[in-house]
Amino acid sequence: MTTASASVSWRRYFWWNTDHKVIGVQYIVTSFLFFILGGALAMLVRSELATPATDLLDGSTFNQVMTNHGTLMIFLWILPVLAGFGNYLIPLMIGARDMAFPRLNALSYWIIPPAGLLMIASFFAGGAEAGWTAYVPLSIGGPPGQTLWALSVMLLGISGIFGAINFLTTVIMMRAPGLTFWRLPLFVWGMIATSLLILTATPVLTSGLIMVALDRVVGTHFFTVTSGGDPVLWQNLFWFYSHPAVYIMILPAMGIISEIFPVFARKPIFGYRMIAMSSMAIAVLGLTVWAHHMFTSGMDPRLRVPYMVSSMVIAVPTGIKIFSWLATIWYGKLRFTTSMLFALGFISMFLIGGLTGIFLAAIPVDLHVHDTYFVVAHLHFVLFGGSVSAVYAGLYYWFPKITGRMLDEKIGRTHFALNFIGTNLAYLPMFIAGLMGMPRRVAAYDPSFTSYNQWATLGALILAFSTMPFLYNTIVSWARGPKAAANPWQAQTLEWRTSSPPPLENFSEIPIVTGGPYDYGEPSAPAAEPAAAPAAG
Amino acid sequence: MSQHAMQHVEDFRAGHALGLDHRKLGMWMFIASEVMFFGGLIAAYLHYKYRLGFPEAAELNVVLVGINTMVLLTSSYTVVSALAAIRQGRQGRFIAWLLLTILLGVAFLGGQIYEFADLVRQGVTLTSGVFGSSFFTLTGFHGLHVAGGVLWAIVTLVRGLRGTLNAEHSMAVEIFGLYWHFVDIVWIVLFTQIYLIV
Amino acid sequence: MRERTLFFSAIVGIVLIGAGFAVATQANLMPPEASTRAVAVDQLFRILLGISTVIFLLVEGALVFAVIRFRRQAGDDRPGPAVHGNTSLEILWTLIPAAIVVVIGLYSFQVLAAIEVPGLGPRVIEVVGRQFSWQFRYPETDLATTELHLPVGQPVVFQISSEDVIHSFWVPAFRAKLDATPGQISELVMTPIEIGRFPIRCAELCGAGHAVMTSEVVVESPEDFAAWLAEQQAMANDPAQIFLTMGCGACHTLASAGTTATIGPPLDEMAAVAATRLPGLTAQDYVVQSILAPDDFIAPGFPPGLMPKTFSQRLTPDQIERLAAFLLDQP
Repeated sequence: MTTASASVSWRRYFWWNTDHKVIGVQYIVTSFLFFILGGALAMLVRSELATPATDLLDGSTFNQVMTNHGTLMIFLWILPVLAGFGNYLIPLMIGARDMAFPRLNALSYWIIPPAGLLMIASFFAGGAEAGWTAYVPLSIGGPPGQTLWALSVMLLGISGIFGAINFLTTVIMMRAPGLTFWRLPLFVWGMIATSLLILTATPVLTSGLIMVALDRVVGTHFFTVTSGGDPVLWQNLFWFYSHPAVYIMILPAMGIISEIFPVFARKPIFGYRMIAMSSMAIAVLGLTVWAHHMFTSGMDPRLRVPYMVSSMVIAVPTGIKIFSWLATIWYGKLRFTTSMLFALGFISMFLIGGLTGIFLAAIPVDLHVHDTYFVVAHLHFVLFGGSVSAVYAGLYYWFPKITGRMLDEKIGRTHFALNFIGTNLAYLPMFIAGLMGMPRRVAAYDPSFTSYNQWATLGALILAFSTMPFLYNTIVSWARGPKAAANPWQAQTLEWRTSSPPPLENFSEIPIVTGGPYDYGEPSAPAAEPAAAPAAG
Repeated sequence: MSQHAMQHVEDFRAGHALGLDHRKLGMWMFIASEVMFFGGLIAAYLHYKYRLGFPEAAELNVVLVGINTMVLLTSSYTVVSALAAIRQGRQGRFIAWLLLTILLGVAFLGGQIYEFADLVRQGVTLTSGVFGSSFFTLTGFHGLHVAGGVLWAIVTLVRGLRGTLNAEHSMAVEIFGLYWHFVDIVWIVLFTQIYLIV
Repeated sequence: MRERTLFFSAIVGIVLIGAGFAVATQANLMPPEASTRAVAVDQLFRILLGISTVIFLLVEGALVFAVIRFRRQAGDDRPGPAVHGNTSLEILWTLIPAAIVVVIGLYSFQVLAAIEVPGLGPRVIEVVGRQFSWQFRYPETDLATTELHLPVGQPVVFQISSEDVIHSFWVPAFRAKLDATPGQISELVMTPIEIGRFPIRCAELCGAGHAVMTSEVVVESPEDFAAWLAEQQAMANDPAQIFLTMGCGACHTLASAGTTATIGPPLDEMAAVAATRLPGLTAQDYVVQSILAPDDFIAPGFPPGLMPKTFSQRLTPDQIERLAAFLLDQP
């Protein structure tokens, strides 16, 4: 059964639509727009920081640009784009026709454009300039836009919670016959762990944001120091969410990587159960480490130690994943598609981010590098070198499924090369700048840090350019790229058992699952038997 | 709305095999997130209580609010009875118990408003200090949740009167009941921490 | 075959550990070690660096090796071996990292305990952060300065606080950082061991002037320190000194003080405009009121709410009068 004719198909993306495939694309495209906007703000930051003095932007404007860069990237790019992947893929991967709550799903998406507009509006109302961390009392006394900023983040949090409820209910309730939990694709496991974190942690941030908004607008005294308010309370409420948030930003990405390696190594994933359980372990541990962002806050010195321990322990399940991925490609038959290149790049860059995380967990070292460019480098290696690489890997991988067209691989490889070089060049020098004494969130710095900053700005410039081949490739291929077969990569997860793009009801008949999703090289029959194989293209 | 968006029973077969209903599961998850939301507000209140001592808490009216707590607890009983009634197909009793729930909910809100007004008269307001801010925000949000529940109950009542709810289609009542009990349990925690433990 | 793998692994192992050792001992990525803390922290840092180097080279090496060695040969469409796992290997790569984490954790705890113990007979110094300068108070002399001086070798306890928003007191050369939080006093201990001048930076975003909220710590011999202290006390009523000590230069340009900041209006023209700003108000009274209640008169082109309102508490009325007269007496 084919979809509605192509002439009306593009319109449905701009309207209320309860089809998870439409919603998934809405999420991905909308968040990519905010990625570009956040990237433009980053270029402003790096342009200012190309020279030691404040010459381009004054201190206040710089703080607004920096704050909104971080906020956009986290709340309007990475979190929603990963939710978009979850939305598009979960029903297909589990052999369902849609999410458990399709209307709630549409609502989750449609909260995002107004919240995004609110965030942009806040910039023009006297933008938030207290960093994405909005520490009090600075954020309480800040410009009017800070309230709109808080409102926008609250709305985005609510959208996330609705999404999490949908993802979890769908996976529990709607798996195809034979699809036990131990046969789920690892991306779905990643989304399960992520959704549990979203559900548990986001509401705490909401409660804190309400306190900040009330202090600003109504004059309550949650954080009024002279009345007995405690600025550190905000830090606790904020980081209780924002630390798990970084795992919310990496677990789906790791799930994507787990999907790609078996396919392009033509080998089963190594250590499936350990990878699945590591995702759950990272989620649980992730809820116990938040105060490692507060080692210098003046908190009880002895209380810091358990947080150091739990933060270091997270390295173990993370290491299990990295070693399992290595073992997956070991002895494989590697195909270097653009997806695979980004997945390989993910490992090397996430490794740097992860290792430097251990430095940060060690309190004596953290007391030196906290709030310096060492942290900026660390976070960009895990979020850009890590999560964004995985997003690109996923986009190149699932683009044929979503659009029914193939992306150009040569342009893709150019994109990868520019991205890999740009990322390393932009962020490696920042480690050294931080160690040598450059604080973060500064518009000016001591001239001794000039060379590090200039290399970093060059790297950022290369990154900015790297998006151009990607955008060109995506737009041109979507319009007139070669048509994609149902399963161009010969993968074994269920979304490849239906046409590219899938029909409205996903599967003409719900598949029956008889094996795991990565059974390459097994002498037995394929893992799923569709009742009627749909025509390709 | 597209045809495929209307869920079929067999779509949820995997969950039914585990004895779950997707709407109930969704509500439980929503309640989990709400628990964490109140957790943040409670954490703020308790943090300041142990840091500042909250002398203003002497103005709290334990007896009045204690009675109000009984009112809310009773309403959980009436909700259970309403659910039992609809499950047995007894429309009339269902309407009666639900109406009673609404009345008790409204009475609770009235009691809260009286307590708030009393405190304001004594100089304890949302902006009078850390106690006022954290007390009114915490109990205020709870009150908003009760008010939301009352509205939901009214909607359920209307559906009951229209006949769309019966013994076979009573899930909406059960889910409402879950929400109502949650709001009640949150109040028990709040009442204990704010009024009983000083 | 097994012997070859073992031999090869041993070679790789030796190279990795050698590389880790080389990086750990040779890398020069930190500022000078100007305190006892710095020595201990750098030691921990080097060990972490060495271990990270080994792990990094191991994983990256395996990655590069795999990419080269296991590239699909043209025309080979067969799948790879159907290996789903290897229990011994998985146990190994769970336990070894766990063991490394335990060792690092214990060592870090040991270093932490050592660096947080105050030395004997510490000198107490109050550190006050405010938008956008640092002030240091020496309690036994009632002295307030914008430049921190310390006698080498004597343990110090910094009592750190803030007058407005959260700042963070950081001396990279000491490897010491602690937030300056309003409403609380946080204690930071260290012992300076190297004579020299080292930068002080604010390490918590505190507003428009966060990047320029810098100062310097001068570590000197006990004799030089005593001389400096005496000199400071003598200058406590010198208005030019008050201008610098109170951090006015962080926001205002004044030629005679050599300050060039532009966060607030320039003060060199004060004499020319002070008498004309408000009819009936003398120039002296205008300047005094501008210091005590900064938001009463806002110079055109500048925003309200930036200048601290606490000078009435930090300066005596006499000091403020002298300061006003000094500003009006500029060449």
